[in-house]
Amino acid sequence: MTLGLDLDYLDRSSRGEFDLRWLRNGSSEWGVRAKPGKTGLTLRDIAIGTYGEVPDHAPLRTMAPRGSDIDPEVPDLGYTINDKAEVWSDNVLDLYEEAVSRQWSATRDIPWRDLPDLDPDLEHAMCQLATVLSEVEMVAADFPAKWLWRINHDFVEAKMFLCTQVMDEARHTEVFRKRALANGGGLGRASAVVERFLQLILDAESYDEGSALMHLLGEGIVLSLFRAGEFLAPSPVETQIFRLCMQDEARHVAYGTMHLRYRLERDPSMAEDFHAYLDKGEEIIAMIFSTPEIVEPTAILAAGGVAQAAELGTAAGEVMRHQIIGDYLKRCRHAGLDRRGRLHLPDVLIEGVAGAMPEAVA
Amino acid sequence: MGPIAAPFPSDRWFAELVVRAEADTAAMERLGIADLRIGFEVVADDGSGSWLFGLVFDGYDVDAVGEPERSGFVPEVVVSGPRSAWEEMVRSIEANGGADAGHTLNTLTITGVPFTVRSTDAMGQDKLYRYMGTVQAVLDAAGVEPALAAGR
Repeated sequence: MTLGLDLDYLDRSSRGEFDLRWLRNGSSEWGVRAKPGKTGLTLRDIAIGTYGEVPDHAPLRTMAPRGSDIDPEVPDLGYTINDKAEVWSDNVLDLYEEAVSRQWSATRDIPWRDLPDLDPDLEHAMCQLATVLSEVEMVAADFPAKWLWRINHDFVEAKMFLCTQVMDEARHTEVFRKRALANGGGLGRASAVVERFLQLILDAESYDEGSALMHLLGEGIVLSLFRAGEFLAPSPVETQIFRLCMQDEARHVAYGTMHLRYRLERDPSMAEDFHAYLDKGEEIIAMIFSTPEIVEPTAILAAGGVAQAAELGTAAGEVMRHQIIGDYLKRCRHAGLDRRGRLHLPDVLIEGVAGAMPEAVA
Repeated sequence: MGPIAAPFPSDRWFAELVVRAEADTAAMERLGIADLRIGFEVVADDGSGSWLFGLVFDGYDVDAVGEPERSGFVPEVVVSGPRSAWEEMVRSIEANGGADAGHTLNTLTITGVPFTVRSTDAMGQDKLYRYMGTVQAVLDAAGVEPALAAGR
């Protein structure tokens, strides 16, 4: 087919002679009427009839809406992710609705005017942590964005959820950048170790690999850090920031966990591939646990000052580390990937974490 | 608005809590939809017994289901702690119009002391994190001042 202006059609339509081919011989489910639930008309409400049937393998590579009548001459758009199991999770429709419903504004919903003057050590520590978080959060926008245009449009609900993640992470980057600049401290130092982990995610050769590294491992760690935010927060302003970010991050982790579960249920033979991806990621995470730009501000904030940090901050750091690793192991297990006993983390980091040491599983 | 008249812990206390929280419809909608079945377990300080109370978050709605053995309610996640710690949390909420920094549900659960979090799987636990602001806002409704607007 040659695309071009159909002058003959223009002439006929100007005389009121409509073509109406688009109306005839359609396969649409005329009469389908989605009914709104109590929160409005949700994606689950419209997943009805054939419109709700998501193919395991997309038959075409087009942007045509799933369930529409498709012109046989539509071009091939070259999507590379054409299997549902590569991106799907059973909770993705609900997570999208939740994400849209629970959006917030880093400008409006944080009581910035209530920021108190802090001890300079605490301000430095908070700004350093905000620098790291502003840095790492954006990778969770870059990674979905890198893959979104490769995902077949038949899996549009998964694409829509990833779009919400991009927005969430933009807001997280925004809120931590704003925090660094809002109270006189400014941005701190970006470390090479952190950047290497981000590079691993961005350079992932498949969505599977990147999602495991990011949704499950990276965001799981950040989720635990946000959760600890109420311990770390030097004022109610940061408490609010951490709480709002935690809710978003938990949504992303819920997608990652359930996506991996969906993937492995359909192809258990991929388990070793995922173990290998996480082996690599954990090796870098081990270095992050010994990166001063992260460990020290966290310890100072947890202890409430530099003087107390050596004792109290180190103890708090150990509690956090145990929680991070314990939660990560639970999520992997729920996804169907038992990492107990095969973590690529040094013993000194996992001692005391239930099920983490090899002998605990043997 | 004064403290909830019913004794803590009791079915009536949680029922009144929910009535207060739901009275501010706009605030509940602002918090966003939630989907969670959570149990609050109050353990006698001497370990002689415990009481479990359930809340169900569904969309913008919250329901108190009372003690699960009577309602058949199966929680996805349970927050458990000694009665004295729960009462201290409630007193903080009543005194401040919402939990102070040392008495939020997140703070009280983070180290496993005084409250623990248990769930049958990782998703139940992560749901608590996903909806922490909403759960806290409902608990804060026990405060003297309506707390939802600040509890997002």
